[in-house]
Amino acid sequence: MTGGGDEGDSVRDEFVAEAQEIIEALSRDLLLLDHGQKEGNPDPDLVNSVFRGVHTLKGIAGMFGFADLGEVAHVLEDLLDQLRLGRVELTQEVLDVLFEGVEVLQRLLSAGPEAPEADLDGFRGAVQAVLDLGEEAPSDFGAYDLDTGVLSVLTEYEEHRLRTNIDQGVPLYRLRVRFGLTSIDSDLEELKARAKPIAEIITYLPSMEGGDDDSIDLEVLLASRVDVAELRDALCTASDAELEPVGSRGAGASGHTMTPPPPDEPTTSHPPASPPAAPKRAEERTGAPPAPPRDVGADSLSVRSVAKTVRVDIGKLDHLMNVVGELAIIRSGVGRVLDRVRGNPEFRALATELHRIHRGFERHLDDLQDGILDVRMVPLGQTFDRLARAVRQVSREHGKDVRLQVSGADTEVDKLIVEELTDPLLHIIRNAIDHGIETSSDREAAGKPATGTLALNAYQKGNHVVIEVEDDGSGMDAERILASAVERGAITVEAGEEMQRPEKLGLIFLPGVSTAEAITDLSGRGVGMDVVKTHIARLGGVVDVHSELGIGTKFTITLPITLAIISALVVRVAGRTYCIPLTVVQEALVLDPASVRRVEGHEVITLRGATLPICRLDGLFGLQQPAGASPKEYVVVTSLGQRRLGLVVQGLEGQQDIIIKPLGKTLSDVKGFAGATDLGDQRVVLVLDAPSLLEEVLAGPEVRAAGLGATS
Amino acid sequence: MEEPPLIARILVVEDSSAMRAYVRAALEEAGVVREVVEASSGFEALRLLPRESFGLAIVDINMPDVNGLELIRFMRGSDAHKSTPLLVISSEASERDRERGLSLGANAYLAKPFTAEALVEAVRELVPGAEEDQAG
Amino acid sequence: MSGSGITRRDTVVPAAPSRSKEPARGHATRDFLAFGLAGERFALPLAAVREILKVAPITEVPRARPHVLGILSVRGRITTVMDLRRRLRMAPAGDDDKQRRILLVDGGQEVVGLLVDEVYQVYRLHEEEMELAAVVAGDLSEYVFGIGRPGTLDEEVEVERDEILILLDPEPLLKR
Repeated sequence: MTGGGDEGDSVRDEFVAEAQEIIEALSRDLLLLDHGQKEGNPDPDLVNSVFRGVHTLKGIAGMFGFADLGEVAHVLEDLLDQLRLGRVELTQEVLDVLFEGVEVLQRLLSAGPEAPEADLDGFRGAVQAVLDLGEEAPSDFGAYDLDTGVLSVLTEYEEHRLRTNIDQGVPLYRLRVRFGLTSIDSDLEELKARAKPIAEIITYLPSMEGGDDDSIDLEVLLASRVDVAELRDALCTASDAELEPVGSRGAGASGHTMTPPPPDEPTTSHPPASPPAAPKRAEERTGAPPAPPRDVGADSLSVRSVAKTVRVDIGKLDHLMNVVGELAIIRSGVGRVLDRVRGNPEFRALATELHRIHRGFERHLDDLQDGILDVRMVPLGQTFDRLARAVRQVSREHGKDVRLQVSGADTEVDKLIVEELTDPLLHIIRNAIDHGIETSSDREAAGKPATGTLALNAYQKGNHVVIEVEDDGSGMDAERILASAVERGAITVEAGEEMQRPEKLGLIFLPGVSTAEAITDLSGRGVGMDVVKTHIARLGGVVDVHSELGIGTKFTITLPITLAIISALVVRVAGRTYCIPLTVVQEALVLDPASVRRVEGHEVITLRGATLPICRLDGLFGLQQPAGASPKEYVVVTSLGQRRLGLVVQGLEGQQDIIIKPLGKTLSDVKGFAGATDLGDQRVVLVLDAPSLLEEVLAGPEVRAAGLGATS
Repeated sequence: MEEPPLIARILVVEDSSAMRAYVRAALEEAGVVREVVEASSGFEALRLLPRESFGLAIVDINMPDVNGLELIRFMRGSDAHKSTPLLVISSEASERDRERGLSLGANAYLAKPFTAEALVEAVRELVPGAEEDQAG
Repeated sequence: MSGSGITRRDTVVPAAPSRSKEPARGHATRDFLAFGLAGERFALPLAAVREILKVAPITEVPRARPHVLGILSVRGRITTVMDLRRRLRMAPAGDDDKQRRILLVDGGQEVVGLLVDEVYQVYRLHEEEMELAAVVAGDLSEYVFGIGRPGTLDEEVEVERDEILILLDPEPLLKR
């Protein structure tokens, strides 16, 4: 296309967005198909969905510069075609290839157009291997009283579905309905919903006779094992709807059929189990009726993807967030003026009115803010699907039998956070499967069920989202971790001796520490748990680990729900102003200088019976107190995950909504700040980074040894 | 573009949003049409067809529910659209579907993937008066 | 000022008066913005200078490197400001000189503010009026890519010694 750059780009963006959606849908469908296959009744609709998705991808990829992607889609399409036509059986091996295919598609899409040519030979080979077992013998439609008109407008796929149903002896029906033109979409959805549990809809034929300007008549061809009366009850809800069975003719092919000649000669060998094979007419078989409603936890997700959604560019949302941020600053400004007006008795009436207006503004602004934040939220289920694929893949790679349990997939998190979460979670999962979960024989020897369980759990807790990854594997050996850390020089022997068990386990987050005999480079990138921790810290979160030898390991990730607008506590330290995100603030209290003690060289106070380490920010930041400063001080108790730290400040200025803006690269070496914000009044103020402060202050081994910082 | 658009309205029936965007961009850029109307499914097309007229319809065969073939048969059976020029787009591999499309009354087909130039050329060939305009 | 590519804020910077009677010879020239620092004259490629700001309150950043003065907000964007004197290891300034300005310079990765004593004018230098770094000695050579002698092409004009410009390279200058 010779189009101007912009236009070409936006069309390409459209492709990327659509392709991404298709790939995600493929992933979900494959997971469901995998589940179905394991239970013995894979849903042919799913195979069709996957086929359709891949087919669409193939058709469009080449046109937008993604030639390799198109080729992989083509290869997958061939395989899926054979699958849906019943010529290849759906086995775990075939599913492996399909899953791999989706991974490849995702990689190619992420790599961008005109990326260097990928080596697809391995993948092609794998597909060819499964394709080499194909056979079928088609039936003919002569047995059914279907007129040529109907048969001529069936696509190849629809023909196949028809054939399959006939082979399996599923009765066919014709349903005539009338849909109003304006309500056609919802009428259709409704019909589909009602039909799904009891019938398979093969095609919709718009009728030429009947109908008027406002409505359209449709003939729906469907197959169902359900009794006619029940079918009529369910589907003929409108008074003018009619359902009739499609009658069968006598034996013998008639000249009316328009089936293409059978591509292969029927083979004599009998294929194993499920695929419809032998050329029989209307013979009863224990074929698979349409699968019952899915219940694999991804259910709510599948329905949602069909519903009314709008694709939104996250950049546009960011812009809206900025505008809301500016409005929030203005609101604060109005509040300040209101305060001043109130202070003047002459303006009493004005003050009251202004107050009312301000309240209204505030309410709507909060609403707007919530609304926009809500739009940015996506359910974690998306990420969980991706992880489920990885679990499957890694398990097979390592010959481990692992069952994945997911809960809280609809817990929502800011889209930007979700995108950053996949990598760390993937890493934790890979470690869990490779090192954590034992082989089936080892497990049985230990009295555990042969199948290991990996549980992914997400839930909201106040302003945070908690994600847990738990396995029932062999657990981590704190002593071995300690030994490894000492060996690598990460800590001294003495420091190690003073550590409690939780601190020892925490050592896995130091670079280079590993308990595996050979450091298996699962992801090919040589990353360790320290990267996971840094990654999560970047998102403003923390990761904790608990483990019991022989029982299992649990990683807990705590994240703020959104990165965008947050509420912050404004404080003063040595005459300067800083902000502390409220998500980490537990409480603030006046510091009684007499209550400060020193433990192992660190200052602490006692809060409700528990020891709380404190940190003087002016000291940490090297700030001089201005002359004449009041001696009054406050402690802001911050907590994150399991740890707490009291920050000593000289003033509390109240609460404010802020947008944290990043500091530039030049300042990337400065510790302790998450960014800066404009407080209005032209005050640019730094925002403290609680996780990194906690880390910095609580990290000394002496602190750990004294058991400081742990939650009471 | 000096020449006035050849066609007032073109209907594009295609379930891939990226394809629709591509076709729209190609047609608008070439200046062959004044208005491109998009339908993302056979059903949506059914809703538009009875009331509107189009100088040309571009129809994708392989769509779920009401597929392209059914749409073509419907159009050829209706008074409003029995002569509307119809361009079928289909995947390269499905010869059978393509032939069915032509036998049901489509005027021409274009196999995916196609270039913007090929699309515009196919459109020009289908619309009467194209040759003369070009020559001018 | 059309064509110069920088936005002025609260200040006026005159464009180069033509020193030479001949028009600039097209490709072989480059525009530079000259400014003063500790008595020396420096210049940066005009293309790298995004804006010139009057000195505004700067929020200090604890534990940043010594030459970082702090941050300020430029239309909502948090921008780091460096003390160029310190960066170039020159003597620190006396306080409050009204002529001081902050140049917003694009170093490739980020736009950073540089505090300078005074801003002079834009010079258009022909390649023959520039002497490149290989020839320049001294320990500023990391950031300096050459010396400029504006006006030398025009024989009628005498180039004063103190009009020599030390040409700075923004990228290494702004890197950590």
